[in-house]
Amino acid sequence: MAQRKRGNRIVRQRPDRRANRTILIRSLFLMAIFGLLAFIPLFVKLWQIQISQHDYYQDLAVKQQTRDSTVTANRGTIYDSKGEVLAMSATVYDVQLSPRDLQETLETYQEKVEKAQEDGGKLPDYPEPTDQFIAENLAAILDLEVDDVLDHLQNKNSQYEIIKKKIEPEESEAVQEFITENHLSHGIYLMPTSKRYYPKGSLAAQVVGWVNPNLDNQGAYGLEAQFESILSGQTGRVVTAKDGVGTELLYRFEDYYDATDGSNLTLTIDSTIQSYCESILQEGVEQFEVQNGGFCIAMDPNTGAILGWANSPSFDPNDPWDVSDPVLLQYLEDIKSGEYTKEEAYQKALAEGASTEEAYEDAVSAAETEVLTTQWTNRAVRLSYEPGSTFKCMVLAAALEEGVVSESDHFYCSGSVAVEGWNGPPIRCSDRDGHGDQDLAKAVANSCNPAFIAIGQKLGAEKFYDYLEDFGFLEPTNIDMQGEPTGGGQIIWSRESFTNVNLATASFGQRFQVTPLQLITAASSVVNGGHLMQPYVVSQITDADGNVLQHTEPTEVRQVISEQTSERCRAILEKVVDGGTGKNAAVEGYRIGGKTGSSETTEDDRTIVSFLGFAPADDPQVVILLAYDNPKPAYPGGNTTAGGWYISGGNMAAIKAGELLEKILDYLGVEKSYSATADVLVPNLTGLNLADATSALKKNNLSIRVVGDGDTVTGQIPANGASIPGGSEVVVYMGAEVPTDQVTVPNLDGLSMDQAKEKLSALGLYLKATGATEYGANLVAYDQSIAAGTSVDRGTTIEVRFTDSTASGAGL
Amino acid sequence: MKKRRRDLTVMQQLARGPIDIPFLMLVVILTVIGVIMVFSASYPTAMNEGLSPTNYFFKQATFGGVGLVAMYLISKINYQTFRGLSVFVLAISIILLVLVIPFGYGRSTVGAQRWISLPIIGGFQPSEIAKVGVIMYFAARLSKRNTEKHKRLPPRHPLSGLYAWLDEKGVLEPIPYFVVLGLVAILMLMEPHMSGTILVLMGGASVLFAAGIRLYWFIGGGTAAAAGLFFIMTQTSYMATRLAIWKDPWNDGMNGRGSGFQTIQSLYAIGSGGLLGVGLGKSRQKFLYLPESENDYIFSIVCEELGFIGAAIIILLFVLLIIRGYWIAVHARDRFGALLVVGITTLTAVQVFLNIAVVTNLIPSTGISLPFFSYGGTALMIQLGEMGMVLSVSRQIPAPKQE
Repeated sequence: MAQRKRGNRIVRQRPDRRANRTILIRSLFLMAIFGLLAFIPLFVKLWQIQISQHDYYQDLAVKQQTRDSTVTANRGTIYDSKGEVLAMSATVYDVQLSPRDLQETLETYQEKVEKAQEDGGKLPDYPEPTDQFIAENLAAILDLEVDDVLDHLQNKNSQYEIIKKKIEPEESEAVQEFITENHLSHGIYLMPTSKRYYPKGSLAAQVVGWVNPNLDNQGAYGLEAQFESILSGQTGRVVTAKDGVGTELLYRFEDYYDATDGSNLTLTIDSTIQSYCESILQEGVEQFEVQNGGFCIAMDPNTGAILGWANSPSFDPNDPWDVSDPVLLQYLEDIKSGEYTKEEAYQKALAEGASTEEAYEDAVSAAETEVLTTQWTNRAVRLSYEPGSTFKCMVLAAALEEGVVSESDHFYCSGSVAVEGWNGPPIRCSDRDGHGDQDLAKAVANSCNPAFIAIGQKLGAEKFYDYLEDFGFLEPTNIDMQGEPTGGGQIIWSRESFTNVNLATASFGQRFQVTPLQLITAASSVVNGGHLMQPYVVSQITDADGNVLQHTEPTEVRQVISEQTSERCRAILEKVVDGGTGKNAAVEGYRIGGKTGSSETTEDDRTIVSFLGFAPADDPQVVILLAYDNPKPAYPGGNTTAGGWYISGGNMAAIKAGELLEKILDYLGVEKSYSATADVLVPNLTGLNLADATSALKKNNLSIRVVGDGDTVTGQIPANGASIPGGSEVVVYMGAEVPTDQVTVPNLDGLSMDQAKEKLSALGLYLKATGATEYGANLVAYDQSIAAGTSVDRGTTIEVRFTDSTASGAGL
Repeated sequence: MKKRRRDLTVMQQLARGPIDIPFLMLVVILTVIGVIMVFSASYPTAMNEGLSPTNYFFKQATFGGVGLVAMYLISKINYQTFRGLSVFVLAISIILLVLVIPFGYGRSTVGAQRWISLPIIGGFQPSEIAKVGVIMYFAARLSKRNTEKHKRLPPRHPLSGLYAWLDEKGVLEPIPYFVVLGLVAILMLMEPHMSGTILVLMGGASVLFAAGIRLYWFIGGGTAAAAGLFFIMTQTSYMATRLAIWKDPWNDGMNGRGSGFQTIQSLYAIGSGGLLGVGLGKSRQKFLYLPESENDYIFSIVCEELGFIGAAIIILLFVLLIIRGYWIAVHARDRFGALLVVGITTLTAVQVFLNIAVVTNLIPSTGISLPFFSYGGTALMIQLGEMGMVLSVSRQIPAPKQE
């Protein structure tokens, strides 16, 4: 124990029980407080935060720690039947600004500058990222208004300001460069997204449809809309962790929910046939001054597969809001320049007290909307029309099937007929003078209304109506295509109200409406052996890896008529083209059957001219329905267009249908069956004697004309291997000089076939006649393959298309 | 060579007594866990600063290792030596606290002049030394209070009666201590260093309390402190905003991105931990969300990574350390040892409590580091040094009497 001397006293520090006790008690008190009590609230608080409010705080934490971005699924591709791409998606970029991140970038920059100024270090070698600087540059690159970009940048708390969507690759490269050069990767983002491309432009535009880029690339029209869920796939998500300054921590906490790419559609539509349909349709629209467009469907009658499906007016789905069709443009122009007063919207606006300017605006915008709807609509499935005489195919088939008529029956046409129960004037035939006596085939070929009224009467209303049902005119075709009205779209009598008069008009296809698709589907069953097929355009759905998810098998709805009846119908309908009202559709070498039609409408002077055709007639591979809506008469009430075309199915649609069928059959590889005038190849005659040359030519259905008096052939026109019409004359030179000069092709317009042939052979040229070539003296040439005035070699074959000017009248 | 040997003195024999193993183990465990947690919490910060991910970890581990060795060496010192040293430690810390005002740094980073750089030792906070200095000095002086000669005024002095009465009632006794505390506190408040001041006051008060200073001083002091606190909280705008943020950290005028940000991020971290935590090293909040995640707010990361269970275990380790500290105090061989250990233990306890209370938003935020955990080399060394003193006291605990 320490002892200390304190003054005169020795103080001994000895155990002081009282002091020690105090220390003991107070230390224990402190222990109780700081070793025990103080920590209780900490445990309570921790429990609250970590256990009771765990979810709450975790949610908030995860929200700030992760960046949840969507991964756009690739939209499926749409292929035609040959694998050509009709619609596809490609990656493009949205430009996204994060004003919050940019603010931080700006602060970082300013800190750097401050630091540089303090330490005398280097200043950043890039400009200060002010809002103005960013806005000006981005506006320049993206072709935007500087103020608009600035407005976006003002939303300082936002991280998600999209200033331009789906920019082109050049623009995105420029933006990327701008970001890199100015160190703006924290704040300006290029977000990948997908853009829909239609590589073939307007091809099958209404069938394929389009996606609306403003609505997240959702299908808006056509198959794009119909198969939206299949094409779009499943959007994926990427959840990435990021740190407090927004940098992604790619190596941690990453959740990836795969995007499932959309499935692909393979269509039954063949791009080539589709383009034939479209060009024929468009040519006709121009040729016949058609005011309301038209449609053209090509179908495989045996399966119901749609091979081509054209609508006019059309548009480019790459920019669906752009109006490019000349007819529609003209319409808009007319509205703007005066006809707006006729618009309903104009009258309505005026009635509601708008000024004339406002009413004008209303009228124009209404017209624009109308025009867009028109060009987007697949009218051949959506809109109904009066089928007219094309409907007689079905009446014929029904009557034959029921046995109420036969090929040997005769019908007399006086030019008009009175129908029991009809109080108006007698129903007239197209031929006012009457067709006279005709057998069944002739009556069909003449498209004789009185004959068909008689056929209808024989069938009776009940049976007739049964067949309307059986041919599918009272129900939707259930095609896998957007736009078919749920009820089918037809406007037709109910069974109860189907009177005798109705029966009479229905017998020749008037006073009711069906959709073009219903008509061609029914017509297919007439010629394909009686099988009503369900039409379809999507043949296959495959997933992104190429696995087939769904394959469409042809579906037979029902057997409507027997095989035999179908065969009889084909034979009779072939006669329509072979010398009947449809003779303009005839194609040399092909057996084509069909039926013309001219549908009246409720509007004055508006006729829908159509042709329903199939080929080859003995084994149909393709059925087409071609219609032009409203060719413009030369004058109100006129029968012809300004171009001199008689307004009827036989004089308009049939001509174009013939061309179309020829192209399609060629494309399908259907061999032409040659007749006497079919093309033959000129054999090599050089070195032969006269007898051998003659027999060689004869073998090839050619005749000979000899020039010169040598023993052997020294030259020939046309040359070896040339293809000329059978029966033509080959000029054989025996020692004489072969002329090598060229001749000028004459103008053959308006000539008869004989005249044309004569004119050509005088020049050493050959005539190859196409179109309605075999039927009488009324044929006139209207088109030639080599234009008049062209210089050609002797022996050249000129293809001349003839038309029969008397082919058909109205109402056929 | 002949080695000179001599017998050990009684003191030396006592100083060779057995060290308190439970306390030692607790210190070592907490230090090791602390250093590991610094690694986990600091590497994103280090990487963000362009340093090696292990930069902070290696520094802290080095200081931890050196600190543990220093602790052991200090525990070997006969703690009676600290009596004599205490005056010097206090004097040095006061000098440093004065020097930090012109020569210190830290204003640009935390807005307060708290650090001072010394040769060899490097940068550290003089307040850390002041805490020990005050406790050592108070313990040394107060251990003798019962034998101290009471000063008297000359009997003729007019106030001698009053003086004697006041002395009798213990009014006069703590005044010198208050002067010392006041001086230190004022110097620290000039930095300013509010939390440090609180710790010094609490440390000093605990020694005064344990030493037996009349209770009314503490009741009065506590009342005065409460009143002062109440006044500051309600009447000054500075504390008013702090209080508002304490009640609702999102209500900081910037939607939680202003001064409430750190608290919010801390709550996110703690809350995300749940019962079992996201796993050691897997904290997300340390990725530049939670400021000071390796320092004052390291416990939030502990909670996030180790969950409620892990955090509770660590708090329990601290509680055990503190209880063992008081156990050593009450078993100490003399009053100096007891008071010294009470001071150090209370200081540690208060620091742990305040740190965790701040990170959990139990009290308004103030910058207090967590002993053994928060990054900071010299602070860790000084803490381990303090633990060394406690261990030194533990060596001299008399063995229980054998029956």
